[in-house]
Amino acid sequence: MDYEALKEQWSDFEDRDGVRLSWNTFPSSRMEASRLVVPIAAIYTPLKEKPDTPLLGYEPVTCKAPCRAVLNPYANVDIRARIWICPFCLMRNPLPPHYKDITEQSFPQELHPSSTTIEYKLARPAPAPPIFVFVVDTCQDEDSLKALKETLIMSLSLLPPHALVGLITFGTMAQVHELGYAECAKSYVFRGSKDYTAKQVQEMLGLLASGLRPNFPQQPARPPLGPAARFLLPVAQAEFQITNVLEQLQRDPWPVANDKRPLRCTGVALSVAVGLMESSFQNAGGRIMLFTSGPATEGPGHVVSPELKEPMRSHHDIDRDNIKYYKKALKFYDTLAKRAANNGHVVDLFAGCLDQVGMLEMKNLANFTGGHTLLTDSFTSSQFKQSFIRVFDKDANDNLLMGFNASLEVLTTKELKVTGLIGHAISMNKKSSSVGETECGIGNTCAWKMCGITPSSSYGIYFEIANQGGPAAVQQGPQRGMMQFLTYYQNSSGHYHLRVTTISRNLSGPAGDPALAQSFDQEAAAVLMARIAVFKAEVDDGPDVLRWVDRMLIRLCSRFADYRKDDPTSFRLEKNFTLYPQFMFHLRRSQFLQFFNNSPDETAFYRHVLNYEDVSGSLVMIQPALDSYSLEHEGGQPVLLDSASIQPAHILLLDTFFHILIFHGETIAEWRKAGYQDQEGYENLKALLEQPKEDARELIADRFPLPRFIVCDAGGSQARFLLSKLNPSTTHVSGGYGGGVTSQTIFTDDVSLQTFMDHLMKLAVSGTN
Amino acid sequence: QQFGAMGMADQQQAAPQPVQVPQSVPLNQLYPTDLLAQPFNVAELDYPPPPIILPPNTSVYPSPHANCPPKYVRSTLNAVPTTSSLLKKSKLPFALVIQPYGALHDAEDSVPVIPDQVISRCRRCRSYINPFVTFLDHGHRWRCNMCNLTNDVPQAFDWDTTVQKPADRSLRADLNHAVVEFVAPQEYMVRPPQPLVYLFLIDVSYASVANGLLATSARCIKESLDRIPNADRRTRLGFIAVDSSLHYFSIPRDGSESSDPQMLVVSDLDEPFLPIPGDLLVTLSECRENIEVFLDKLQEMFQNTQNNGCAMGSALRAGYKLIAPVGGKLSVLTSSLPNVGHGILAVREDKKVLGTSKEGSLLQTANSFYKSFAVECSKAQVSVDMFLFSSQYQDVASLSNLPRYTGGQTYFYPGWNAARSEDAIKFAREYSEYLSSEIGLEAVLRVRATTGLRMNSFYGNFFNRSSDLCAFPAFPRDQAYVVEVAIDETVTKPVVCLQSAVLHTTCNGERRIRVLTLALPTTTNLADIYASADQQAITTYFSHKAVERALGSGLEPAREALQAKAVELLSTYRKELAGGSVSGGGLQFPANLRGLPVLFLALMKNIGLRKSAQIPTDLRSAALCLLSTLPLPLLIQYIYPKMFSLHDMPDNAGLPDEQTGEIILPPPTNLSSERLVPYGLYLIDDGQAQFLWVGRDAVPQLLGDVFGVSDKAQLRVGKQNLPELDNDFNQRVRAVIEKSRDHRAKGCGSIVVPHLYVVKEDGDPALRLWAQSMLVEDRADQTVSLTQWMSSLREKV
Ligand SMILES: [Zn+2]
Ligand SMILES: [Zn+2]
Repeated sequence: MDYEALKEQWSDFEDRDGVRLSWNTFPSSRMEASRLVVPIAAIYTPLKEKPDTPLLGYEPVTCKAPCRAVLNPYANVDIRARIWICPFCLMRNPLPPHYKDITEQSFPQELHPSSTTIEYKLARPAPAPPIFVFVVDTCQDEDSLKALKETLIMSLSLLPPHALVGLITFGTMAQVHELGYAECAKSYVFRGSKDYTAKQVQEMLGLLASGLRPNFPQQPARPPLGPAARFLLPVAQAEFQITNVLEQLQRDPWPVANDKRPLRCTGVALSVAVGLMESSFQNAGGRIMLFTSGPATEGPGHVVSPELKEPMRSHHDIDRDNIKYYKKALKFYDTLAKRAANNGHVVDLFAGCLDQVGMLEMKNLANFTGGHTLLTDSFTSSQFKQSFIRVFDKDANDNLLMGFNASLEVLTTKELKVTGLIGHAISMNKKSSSVGETECGIGNTCAWKMCGITPSSSYGIYFEIANQGGPAAVQQGPQRGMMQFLTYYQNSSGHYHLRVTTISRNLSGPAGDPALAQSFDQEAAAVLMARIAVFKAEVDDGPDVLRWVDRMLIRLCSRFADYRKDDPTSFRLEKNFTLYPQFMFHLRRSQFLQFFNNSPDETAFYRHVLNYEDVSGSLVMIQPALDSYSLEHEGGQPVLLDSASIQPAHILLLDTFFHILIFHGETIAEWRKAGYQDQEGYENLKALLEQPKEDARELIADRFPLPRFIVCDAGGSQARFLLSKLNPSTTHVSGGYGGGVTSQTIFTDDVSLQTFMDHLMKLAVSGTN
Repeated sequence: QQFGAMGMADQQQAAPQPVQVPQSVPLNQLYPTDLLAQPFNVAELDYPPPPIILPPNTSVYPSPHANCPPKYVRSTLNAVPTTSSLLKKSKLPFALVIQPYGALHDAEDSVPVIPDQVISRCRRCRSYINPFVTFLDHGHRWRCNMCNLTNDVPQAFDWDTTVQKPADRSLRADLNHAVVEFVAPQEYMVRPPQPLVYLFLIDVSYASVANGLLATSARCIKESLDRIPNADRRTRLGFIAVDSSLHYFSIPRDGSESSDPQMLVVSDLDEPFLPIPGDLLVTLSECRENIEVFLDKLQEMFQNTQNNGCAMGSALRAGYKLIAPVGGKLSVLTSSLPNVGHGILAVREDKKVLGTSKEGSLLQTANSFYKSFAVECSKAQVSVDMFLFSSQYQDVASLSNLPRYTGGQTYFYPGWNAARSEDAIKFAREYSEYLSSEIGLEAVLRVRATTGLRMNSFYGNFFNRSSDLCAFPAFPRDQAYVVEVAIDETVTKPVVCLQSAVLHTTCNGERRIRVLTLALPTTTNLADIYASADQQAITTYFSHKAVERALGSGLEPAREALQAKAVELLSTYRKELAGGSVSGGGLQFPANLRGLPVLFLALMKNIGLRKSAQIPTDLRSAALCLLSTLPLPLLIQYIYPKMFSLHDMPDNAGLPDEQTGEIILPPPTNLSSERLVPYGLYLIDDGQAQFLWVGRDAVPQLLGDVFGVSDKAQLRVGKQNLPELDNDFNQRVRAVIEKSRDHRAKGCGSIVVPHLYVVKEDGDPALRLWAQSMLVEDRADQTVSLTQWMSSLREKV
């Protein structure tokens, strides 16, 4: 198969199973695997929307313990003997009695060859309707608070009527609103400066039995949801009350001196929210949604002092380990994040603030629990409003497109072992024969808890080849390696679902099998390597990570390129490798690994999103897409992400995933300013100006979070967003190289792609790697 | 400047007063009587104290009001010994019983006010100018009647600022009245006068909701809003509802978008904090309507509670935090023992201990919080009143510390339940009176006296801030104080003066000083002392001493001390004044002190001190609170209750006096069962409870007239109100019962509305025994009869 056909096939796989693999043929030996450089790995989107996949209304048939693999199209079914042979453990399992009538012609759905991915609706109902706890910062200006209140009130109509809603507000102190109280507005107040234990929170909210009358007969009409039902009410029942409370919500009443930040006890508010949910709703799906307008300045988890003269920490401060609160705050939020994750609850972090809010410290609340993060300038922004609405997107059946309390388990055939997962999850510390010896990302387990999961949530799952004693047992046909992904989650319809994806790929033949190299999916590989790089960057120094990226790239090239030793000019890459070095070049320069112009909060945010997106989304983040529009041709044309692409009579549309930027070349900008587009006879200019906007709208259509939208002209200050992303082929160092008078010179010390490639080729062919 | 002052004093000494002015008028005559031959008659208790006989022209102007009437200040001795040794020899105490206010409201007890802010005080002893000073130097200077220093008369003294004309000095109230009130100028304020602040701490735990306290309090406060003093429209109110959490309420101003309160619950009791910076104390005038909205809701808010916790200690701390910047009243309404948070108390009462020497420890404070916090409150001008309603042990002993040191009061309603309308009505009437009372704020009491006399010890509910200064965050109008006077130097004057001054802020935001000046003749003669001794003031003094002793050493020592004192006084009198050797079986004592042995016996038999193993500690503690705070007339009645025979009362009794319009009471009867006839109807009234005693042979006519029942079997006993029947006798009985409750007629303020219990001689034994415990001349339980008491005294004398 040629490369294009292979790509087509991978794309089909992705559509069907939500999986892209770095290598679509698995090496048959550990030795071979070790020479691949890029690990065997999958970007897996468990809940990828597949409208054509039927939802099975019965329980899955599973292999006996400890295997527990789910019956799948790759299983060998002996209808007469009424058995099936598990392809993972090769054990024989009896078919369940009710499968007695199946024939070759009427296989159950899960055995159809197209059912490599299938979903079961399990009999187990969710313990409670989905829960949404809004945690609202009241230390914000009136406009912002008003906008947020309106958005929240509006969002009530987006929730399923049976969903439970709670409200916690915070500023100097944290308040839990008792929405079920009829006599008047009532809230429980927690001191903002105190680190409350889970038990204290529950006691103080009256969620524990203590303090109640002993020997008091239980009320017969006790609400089924326990005492927390006073705080968490069905939307349908309490909409009026909640709306009322939200409407009455005032700014934090405590005075703030001119030289002070407001006291904001984000940590206490979150800890109270986690404690509230923990008491009565363990392992019931729910989201804690934080809306904050500034950094925590009070109590546990504060990230900066209330003194305004003390600035927020920068990357520079962190590098120099020169920050008072960072580690303590990080530890506080991490502990909280683990609690929330273990309870099955999601934490979303929405920031509406021009400055940093401590996303860096809080990030694991979202990272561990599958929550969303969003940095916006203000809650008045449409970026916030539209992104927030998108959280509540629904499927065709009007169920929210969000799963709760999700977990993922990976099974492998004996050749493969799973080494870890990189994505929004925590380890469930489950050991099995599928767990590998090495660790990549969150390892040493075959199962992870992700809590929050959406149809877009994508996880990097990494594998190694097992040490095999002696030659493999002789089997018919090519040997295959298999993986099975089992995703359990609480569907917002109120039932648990199980999504099963079973992947099977050929094992490579004898050493040097060219099929291996041909099976390299450079896009998936780039994204999977980016996730590793970012994972490393969380613990290692920046330069170390860059060196690692370089080293891996050089090794991959020296392994798979075609060249004569020590002759860079002879360097050639196969088609399915050619883009990979570029991806790495841009990854090195990306906001994921470079801090220039980014705050620590932004870095945390960008990395969070990278770990959420699938291959195509991640690729745009790594290597932004640039389209050029001119009067010469119809529609946008992809152009090189290079400063040479800037032309006076062209409009550029840059998509970095986080930003969508329309750049008017000098001439275009002049025309526009002169207003030609509104004059008769210049309809073509008008159309040209409109086209990129329309395309941009299309890009934004299903993106989460909503990107920041920038329109700028050549020479304008906003243009720096574009320039920072372009390959500096025409820097002030390289002078006029490669560009005419029309192209833009980028003032940067970065190396250009050309220089980068030159170095790469030289090193790859040197054979010292 | 001090040098100058001393120089002046020296000049004065250069021309000294005559050392000993011969007594120009005879003092009270000593009338010896024999206590055994001539038994005590209760009517004697209604006699006025021995008159204070001053030499003519002692006061600067011949005003009938120049000396302090006994209503405000009574001295145990209306003739003062000139030396300490003479006082010692007399064995009598020298003390003042001070009751600066005669009623809860100014309108019922007006005192001349000096509005011109010209307050002339002695430069040396700081005494206020008073009717007993003398003018010198053509009226330009005045000599202090306390320390003899000559002071300048202020320039504005003879100028009437209201009409801007020279005034006649001889008309000045401060020179004609012993009891006056000065409006104080700026110098008397450490800060602008504070507004009246009431912070209600209301128990909303199960016990308080179940017995109806929450609903009744909320309703009562609502109905009393117009009665709370608020002339300056600055009065502020706040509410904290307390169970195992503290519930704060933010009440919006009238006319706000929402009229609904907001409830803020704080369960963190370690160090209570305020959930919001403002709005928790609201101005009554600005939030009047919404306070009513809130109080209506409050009655329902906790109706389904199952919470058994009561964090009252933490609530007090929180309340303190809320009002300490201003000062004010913490009005606590609770039915529970504080069992969570600060100041936790346990049920420590042990029935086996009652009546033993260990009982005393139960009367002491169980948790130091209640003393230390009270002192903290005093410093911040925060006063605490406790209204206690538990049906179980509530540790009144500990809780009563808060009022004791902050100028507050403990009100105890044992077993109260709003389901009984009598209970609900009694509390509602009392609490409403309480809220209406025109209390003073940020007050201090100081007593100054003629050189040679020194205020030695102070008794009552306040904090003794320095040797002679008593601090009252709030100054109540229904309490009296006892100050013991020591004679340090020989008094050389014929007359001594004792001046009590209460500096306070009125609840209208005015800084004022109430000054009460008492002049007493001196004597070197023991007989004069005895002849002028005030038996009721003496009893009041010993009541305070007995409480002190009971709390400090125990009940038995307290009773023993009283008995020893009675013996000592009788012996002293016998030895020193009755000729010593005169025997003949009699027990001699002056006529004016004839009630003393009976009062001592009655005091020992009071529920606070009685020897008994049956008295719950809380009842004792509450009684001790009364014994150490009641104004003198109420105290004497509490010790020796009033009994009236109703079935045979004189024709004019129960009807208004033709001249005064006041209801005429029947003559009182001694508290002895011998006085009860089986067919009789009696009212026994100790001021806290009234008993209508129905003899076992009460005739149907009487029952029909009074109770509207034909048969005694139909007569319900216990708490009730008499039916209003259309017959003359019923009306007169009710008038007597009502009049007996009239504090104003007794010359003192009180909020108490006693329950009326109907008791049948052959009815419910517990109730009967209780009523009989009022008959203090009888023998009962472990106590002696009056006859036994008198004979034992005679044996010992
Ligand atoms: Zn198996
Ligand atoms: Zn003086």
